[in-house]
Amino acid sequence: MRTRPLPRLFLYASVILTCAILLFPIYWLVVTALSQPDQLRQLPPKFWPDQPRWSVFGAILAERPILLWLGNSALAAIGAVSISMVVSVLAGYSLSRFRVRGGQSLGLFILTAKMLPATLLVIPLFGIFRTTGLIGSMWSIILAHATLIIPFTTWMLKGYFDTIPRELEQAAMVDGCSPLGALVRVILPVSAPGLAATALYGFVLSWSDYAYARTFLTNAQGNWTANLGITTMKGEYISNWADISAAAILVALPILGIYLFLERYLVGGLTAGSEK
Amino acid sequence: MADIVIDRVRKSYGALTVLKDFSIEVADGEFVVLVGPSGCGKSTMLKILAGLEEASAGTIRIGGRDVTDLAPGDRDIAMVFQNHALYPHLTVASNMGFGLKMRGTPAAEINRRVQDAARILDVEHLLGRRPRQLSGGQRQRVALGRAIVREPQAFLMDEPLSNLDAKLRVHMRAEIGALHQRLGVTTIYVTHDQIEAMTMANRIVIMRDGEIQQIADPETMFERPANLFVAGFIGSPGMNFLTAEACNGQVQLFGQPVPVTAAAAGPVTIGLRPEHLEAGRGAVTFEARPVLVESLGSEKYLYFEAPEANRPPRRLARGDEDHRGDRLIARLMNAGPVAVGHPMTLSFDPSRLHVFDPASGRAIR
Ligand SMILES: Nc1ncnc2c1ncn2[C@@H]1O[C@H](COP(=O)(O)OP(=O)(O)OP(=O)(O)O)[C@@H](O)[C@H]1O
Ligand SMILES: [Mg+2]
Repeated sequence: MRTRPLPRLFLYASVILTCAILLFPIYWLVVTALSQPDQLRQLPPKFWPDQPRWSVFGAILAERPILLWLGNSALAAIGAVSISMVVSVLAGYSLSRFRVRGGQSLGLFILTAKMLPATLLVIPLFGIFRTTGLIGSMWSIILAHATLIIPFTTWMLKGYFDTIPRELEQAAMVDGCSPLGALVRVILPVSAPGLAATALYGFVLSWSDYAYARTFLTNAQGNWTANLGITTMKGEYISNWADISAAAILVALPILGIYLFLERYLVGGLTAGSEK
Repeated sequence: MADIVIDRVRKSYGALTVLKDFSIEVADGEFVVLVGPSGCGKSTMLKILAGLEEASAGTIRIGGRDVTDLAPGDRDIAMVFQNHALYPHLTVASNMGFGLKMRGTPAAEINRRVQDAARILDVEHLLGRRPRQLSGGQRQRVALGRAIVREPQAFLMDEPLSNLDAKLRVHMRAEIGALHQRLGVTTIYVTHDQIEAMTMANRIVIMRDGEIQQIADPETMFERPANLFVAGFIGSPGMNFLTAEACNGQVQLFGQPVPVTAAAAGPVTIGLRPEHLEAGRGAVTFEARPVLVESLGSEKYLYFEAPEANRPPRRLARGDEDHRGDRLIARLMNAGPVAVGHPMTLSFDPSRLHVFDPASGRAIR
């Protein structure tokens, strides 16, 4: 197919513009982190510091328990994603395959749950965790994040399972699998790209949470997540924006790493060849 | 290997009944083809046989064992699907051995049987590949291989060839036939293609709207169709239909009296196969003016108008690719040159006529 040059130019221009808009804050984050604190407010602004302050990362790691916070974030995310995946694989598979009485409205009900803003659920969850004595423990944040993630992942996985031909599990059942066996031995391996994308999405949801961590963990410093920890760096006496930016970069790196690791699963069309 | 007895199986989805009292006894080693138009319940019947759908009523016995309430894996049958349904994450060898592995067969034994099946189906060189690296025909062969390594009591096949192109379909048809000859496993095969049914089956089951229309071997199906639907469905091009009034064992066709069975009386629908019309004079001779001639080399399809008095009153059910409208077709072998618009002499043998009751559609003999 040949495209005429003018629309093509327009296409490239808009792609570049979109990328610029999306990437500029990240670029500015890096610039901020590497600048001397007193250079930040200067006019005209410098688009790259004269002497990049690479030592800032070492300094904040020594100053604050950032690695602990990152560990807590990882624990919360892994815990929440594990619970969410187990629940939403079963729920999404059921919604995709079984005609249950009221199944459709059940699915829509789950959908409404994901339309509620997280802040709306903070207060009832706080009440529940206080009575169960979970406030301040990692479990509070794991369970709270799971409630946040499950509606999304259930619907994502339902959509993915819908694309897998039923004949695959029918073949597995004729071959001697139970319905659950067919799910585990055939449907899940075939769904690897969908599972990876869904898990990553859940991970990001958990990783980027602030409201829940702020509400449930404030009094338990040892359990602070990275996002919560970083915000405490602001405004104790004066805000050091360079340090905060450097910390923010450290928090963003794990997500980037996971994305790169999962990428081949995300794009791999493993179902290609299961149908004609 | 085993016989299969399906006894008054019924299936409803809510108010919609898709199978009505389906009964048949399939002998050990028989190749039975279920055929009928889309939506008539063929796949539903096969899934009930496999245990993938539950029957609303009725029983199924395979090899004398009542399997009506057994899980698919416990019925000892193998199924081949239209879209082949190979496991995309497994190699060809693992695909073929999957069923044996599920049954706890030792690895060495699985390997031996996969090799054997691969040799029979000529897919030995593909054993290490994944399904997406295979051509359509190879995939369907591997799907057959997955069925035969299990050495099951019966094969169930749901339109296994309909995703293949015409040439490959003819080839695979012969291959499945040869496989059945070699293994002798009871097979139930679903298709909507009457040619597949005619060429492969020991017996054909013709279905319509969840009801069996006729069960017979291909020859009988062609020679003695039980009703108008079967008569129109089997044969290509399909049977010609004419209306007439029967009286004292005679009907008026093409303006002349023609003898038919004495059992016929009153209005009847007369069926005459295109291949039973001949060029030149014969027992019943008439003049026709071809409006269209299709030449296929050695044979010609001649389209001509039915006489006013014999026009069929309503559209009668016929095969898929039939678009003749009210016209009649003669299928002539080695007829010599035929000119459109010029009258020519055609004839037929009145013993070839089929007579149907137009109200019930049933054959009158
Ligand atoms: N799960 C279901 N719920 C409701 N109706 C169904 C369901 N499955 C099948 N049907 C209906 O049952 C009828 C028979 O379907 P079936 O798949 O057996 O047809 P078929 O003969 O195999 O047709 P085709 O040649 O198109 O494959 C159809 O009218 C179909 O709409
Ligand atoms: Mg079907």
